[in-house]
Amino acid sequence: MSEKILKEWIERFKEAREIRRRYANWDFIRSQPPKIRIALEYYIETGDFRTAAKMSNMSVDEFIEIAKESANIPTVD
Amino acid sequence: MASAIADTSFLIDWIRYSKSRLIFRLFEVIYIPESVLTEIRSERSLTWIAEGLEEGGLAIFPELPDISREALNLVARSRRLPIRPVDYPEAFCLVAGRRLDLTVLTENGGAIALASYDPEYSNVKILRGIDILYLLWRSGLINSFKDELEIYQQETKHIYSRRDLDRYREHLK
Repeated sequence: MSEKILKEWIERFKEAREIRRRYANWDFIRSQPPKIRIALEYYIETGDFRTAAKMSNMSVDEFIEIAKESANIPTVD
Repeated sequence: MASAIADTSFLIDWIRYSKSRLIFRLFEVIYIPESVLTEIRSERSLTWIAEGLEEGGLAIFPELPDISREALNLVARSRRLPIRPVDYPEAFCLVAGRRLDLTVLTENGGAIALASYDPEYSNVKILRGIDILYLLWRSGLINSFKDELEIYQQETKHIYSRRDLDRYREHLK
C-alpha cells in the first residue's frame, strides 16, 4: 500500500472517531454499567461495532440500536 | 440488472431508512451471507429480511468453503496494517463480490479501505448508502438526492464525512 493511501485512511478513521466523540451522549454513557460503558467507549474510539457488541453481550444490531438511540453515537466510517 | 451482496454494516443502517424497500428496484437479488444473518437479531431487522426473502428481493448466500477460506486469508492480511482491518463477514462479501461479480453493499470502513489498497480487490464494485440514494435518484425513484440524503442521515443516524459528500458535490448544490 502506498504511504499516501495509508495516510489518507488513517486521517479518515481519525475524523470518524472525532465525530463519534463529539456527538456522543457522555452522560448516558457514564451512567451505564461497566460492561456497556466500556463497550460504548470502545466503539467510539475504534468504530468496531462487532467487538463492542460482544463486549456488551448483545447482538450487533441490538448494540447499534443502543449506540444510536440512547448514546447518540452516529455511524460514520 | 445486477445482483448484490450486503454486509451487516450496510443492513443495520439501511433498514432504518423509511424508503429502504426501494433498493429492491435496483438489484435483481441482494444476497445476505449466513455469517451476516446470524449477527442480526432485532425485530425490525429480522422483519425486513423476512419480508425481503418472502418477496424474492433477498436470498441467503451459503457459507461456501472456498470463499470462506479466502475471506479468512483476507482478514489476516488486513490485520497486518495500521488501519482498521476487515472482519470476516465483510471479507466474505468482498471475496464473493470479486468471484461472482456481485456489487458489495457495505458501510464498513475496513472493507472500503481494503478495496482501495489491495489490487486484487480494486475492481470490486462497492456501494454505500449514499451511493444507493444517488442511484435511486438517477433512476427517478426519489425526487431529490440532496433532500433524501438529509432524511437518510436523520433516520439512520449515519453521518457522511465531508470527504464522502465531496464526491457528490455537484449534485448536492
